[in-house]
Amino acid sequence: MGASKKLTSVKRDWRERDVRVVLSALIIAVATVATIALFASQLQRTLVSSASSFLAADRQLEAENGRPVPEAWMQEAEQRGLETGRMIEFSTMVYGADNFQLVSIKAVNDAYPLRGQVEYQEGLDAPRQTVSHGPGPGEVWLNPRLLRLLELEVGDTLEVGNHELSISGLLVREPDGGFRMSSLAPRVMMHVDDVEATEVIQEGSRVEYVYLFAGDESALNDYYRWLQPQLEPSHEWEGVRDGETFSESLERAERFLLLGGSLAVMLAAVAVAVASRQYALSQRDTVALLKTLGVSSKGIGRLYIRRLALWGIAGAIGGLLVALPLYWLLSSVLGDVLERQIDYQLDPNALVPALLTALVSLFAFAYPPIRRLRNVPAMRVLRSQPGESGREAIPDLIIAVVAIFGLVWMYAREVSLVLSLLGGLVLLLGTLGLLGWLLVSTLRRISGGGNAWRLALVGLYRHRRASLSQIAVFAMTLMLAATLILVRTSLLSDWQAQLPEDTPNHFLINIAPQAVDEVDEFWAERGYPLEQLYPMVRGRLTELNGQPVKEAVTKEERVGALNRELNLTWMDTLPEDNEIVAGEWFTRGQTDGVSIEAELAGKLGVKVGDELGFTIGSDKVTETVTSIRTVQWDSMKPNFYMAFPPGGGLDDMPATWITAFFLPPDMKGKLNEFSRQFPTVSVLEIDHVIERIQEIVRQVTQAIEAILALILAAALVVMAAVVSATMQDRQREGALLRTLGGRQSLLVRSTMLEFALLGFFAGILGVAAAEGAVWALQFRMFEGEFRWHWQAILPIPLLSALVLAMFGRWQLKPVLSVSPMLLLRRLE
Amino acid sequence: MSDLSEHKSDSQRVILKVSDLTHKVSLETDTLTILQGVSLEINRGESVAIVGRSGSGKTTLLGLLAGLDTPSEGTVELDGAVISQLSEDERAKLRSRRVGFVFQSFQLLPALTALENVMLPLELGGFDSPDKKARDLLERVGLGERLSHTPRQLSGGEQQRVAIARAFASEPAILFADEPTGNLDNHTGAEVSDLLMTLNREQGTTLVMVTHDERLAARCARHFNIEAGILTEPSVSEQPEAVN
Repeated sequence: MGASKKLTSVKRDWRERDVRVVLSALIIAVATVATIALFASQLQRTLVSSASSFLAADRQLEAENGRPVPEAWMQEAEQRGLETGRMIEFSTMVYGADNFQLVSIKAVNDAYPLRGQVEYQEGLDAPRQTVSHGPGPGEVWLNPRLLRLLELEVGDTLEVGNHELSISGLLVREPDGGFRMSSLAPRVMMHVDDVEATEVIQEGSRVEYVYLFAGDESALNDYYRWLQPQLEPSHEWEGVRDGETFSESLERAERFLLLGGSLAVMLAAVAVAVASRQYALSQRDTVALLKTLGVSSKGIGRLYIRRLALWGIAGAIGGLLVALPLYWLLSSVLGDVLERQIDYQLDPNALVPALLTALVSLFAFAYPPIRRLRNVPAMRVLRSQPGESGREAIPDLIIAVVAIFGLVWMYAREVSLVLSLLGGLVLLLGTLGLLGWLLVSTLRRISGGGNAWRLALVGLYRHRRASLSQIAVFAMTLMLAATLILVRTSLLSDWQAQLPEDTPNHFLINIAPQAVDEVDEFWAERGYPLEQLYPMVRGRLTELNGQPVKEAVTKEERVGALNRELNLTWMDTLPEDNEIVAGEWFTRGQTDGVSIEAELAGKLGVKVGDELGFTIGSDKVTETVTSIRTVQWDSMKPNFYMAFPPGGGLDDMPATWITAFFLPPDMKGKLNEFSRQFPTVSVLEIDHVIERIQEIVRQVTQAIEAILALILAAALVVMAAVVSATMQDRQREGALLRTLGGRQSLLVRSTMLEFALLGFFAGILGVAAAEGAVWALQFRMFEGEFRWHWQAILPIPLLSALVLAMFGRWQLKPVLSVSPMLLLRRLE
Repeated sequence: MSDLSEHKSDSQRVILKVSDLTHKVSLETDTLTILQGVSLEINRGESVAIVGRSGSGKTTLLGLLAGLDTPSEGTVELDGAVISQLSEDERAKLRSRRVGFVFQSFQLLPALTALENVMLPLELGGFDSPDKKARDLLERVGLGERLSHTPRQLSGGEQQRVAIARAFASEPAILFADEPTGNLDNHTGAEVSDLLMTLNREQGTTLVMVTHDERLAARCARHFNIEAGILTEPSVSEQPEAVN
């Protein structure tokens, strides 16, 4: 290889420490961004498909009017390349040999489920199996509890209407076993082809036809555009994102991933910038020599551009080489958690931001200081020239800030994120300016240095410019890492608070008013007390300010809640997790007014003072909206769109009561006892739903932890970059001190103290700025409530002091292990 | 001194001509004059020592003579080209073709091997077979066995020999040396200066050396003194006999 070619060889560059740091930073930047982007897209796909399995499809069309939809609709979907499936749901009585029971039947065709899997057992003691189909024609699967209630066994016959079906299995879990009022009774699953023979469905029966669709997102959307004009009010099109159960958690997780990615980009950018500047400084002698040997400024420029390009390629390749196994690892962990096959897919869209990050980092952060190398005078070979003044670096700083926020914007497309982080940084730099002034004016008075404290303080003052810029970089690094840790902590604790271990996993519905006390007693005696009991009246919202509600609301804003009966309730106290956002909650003794859920109010355009008309059975009730409140739909407790005061509009209406409670899995047997004692009360088992949600929270948590680890690695590289920037000077000083007779212990103590002080100041600044950023983020992005993180305010500065002191000690190693003579010669 | 070149025209005979050169540096409060009214002419093939104490301005003068910097006033004419009229890149080009350097601190690129360091100017100047030429030269300076060693693996004297090989590699018309033995002990210094003088004589290069070392200076045919930025040339009778 020629010498001049070798000057641009990456392999040779790798021998230089600053190049190693630049390249490591680049590799980490590319790796982090690529891993996060790849994993986020994987997570997105997996979560959507997990969530899709809640529908057993990507979309559902429900016909609640008791009539099937035109066959042409399904044909159109199939022509568009969509998978389709059909189900019929209805309630009926089924008969065993000696007993009968009201059940909720789900009749499915061969395509069911399009998404997710059905879990079933071949007998009560047989292992659970997951399969992608329902029972075949002539067969029926029963809820295990129902089997016991009917005192039947697998292989027996079950009579459904006029048709006899053979019990071939027990239905443990259906993917789409969410809340559906028609499915309150124990479940029976059969084949759709057998429905006609049962003769159960007559004109006017309460039956729901449900159609399943799965396929390409764009094909689904196109199909819906085609379908929408033909839909009747009783038709409801449901997508995953409409589900209220955990879409909010999903969005927050996505945002967190984006935040993590953005912070990783920023950290890596800082590392690249610091290391390149240092690299540029170290290259000045070489440039002067090359100029002396006759290389023109342009030639120098070309030489370094070529180098940067090679680094870019090496960084991108290296980053991807790190990212792919990491992505694979994370995804397979995800696969294990979900117990399902992961389809690894290298989404090209996910790789673009990674490569762009490499490109922007190099050209916005590494290039400016390297570009200025062209101006190094050749005269430098004879005599060292004055170094760069800080002023020359100001345009670099501006370019860097613009580029960083450009990258974050490109990556996250969240103005609030960019502004929060920018705000945090401004706060940080402002405080830093103040600190710098304090440092200069107080430390100036300290002179001499017989003890470690004095030496450390003098050291800080002597390197004040370097010290301040180090504090700036450390503080920024800490701010970014702390922001992520704080957001993560509050995100996770929010989730955990939302679904604690003893989250109610069973609902009791249809409790007759006179049975309320007995039911309450039954469970209290067995040690599983019920949550609050609520009365429930079924009714439709039909009028808004005297106008039929479907006219008052434009078609675009058509809301699912208008198409079905709502659960109305009355209560005197506001549930703990509800929050009034407008108007006032009922006062004691108040009997008029209604409180409406905030999201529905928003969709309908309802304000406090509007009049709502309800049709309940044959009665009409009209009430004025007195308050709007938010509801935690994912709390797994009874939630209501409409709440009336006790003795108010619902006073004389026939009500049943509803409640939720926690029952551990091994106590399931008590349900049979309960059902025998209270045959009219419906038990809704949602323990599987909760398990799924907890599983998803767990997997998202794991992803978050993995990303946090990557970010902390990026932070460490930044620290290494900064420390290595001043390493040579410090080593030389250390060697001189030793030569002049300084004891090793003095050197160690003073250096560690100096770094500890740096770390402590940086820690305080970083935490303060992080609190600012978290405050803004929490407020704007995560809709959580801001809390001071007292538990982080002291540990982070102390930890950063400790880590930096160790860094300082580590960098002193070469000074302590070899003779000062050798060291001074080596540092020449 | 011979008058060998009398029959040549002035520009052919003179390789370096300095007229009334003054160099000033602006400081925060005032201006510092480093060189004042320097004039000299150096003929092709001559060996010249510029002797002065630290801070006398000799290194600045060397930089201006070699075209590494441009003077505040006056002109430097190097091999027929007026340096202050050339752009930085043109000066670089002139250096790559006509000028060689030996520095007190060797100035080898630490990441390149001895061979690569010597090849560098040959490659930059577009010379033929740089590899062979560099090997020959390293052989010549006694480092034929150390071709693949990096500067860190070489002693000071060895490093300076590599630097000398590099300086002569492109067969420059003029060689500038800045305290070439300043970082070496007496014995090694003497060896290195022997080598420098021998190669210089063999290749017929013009040598301009700044030093504070009278003994090294004594080996050059001509001798200038510099003090407080003012250059003087002793009369012929005071010039040293060139010592081989």
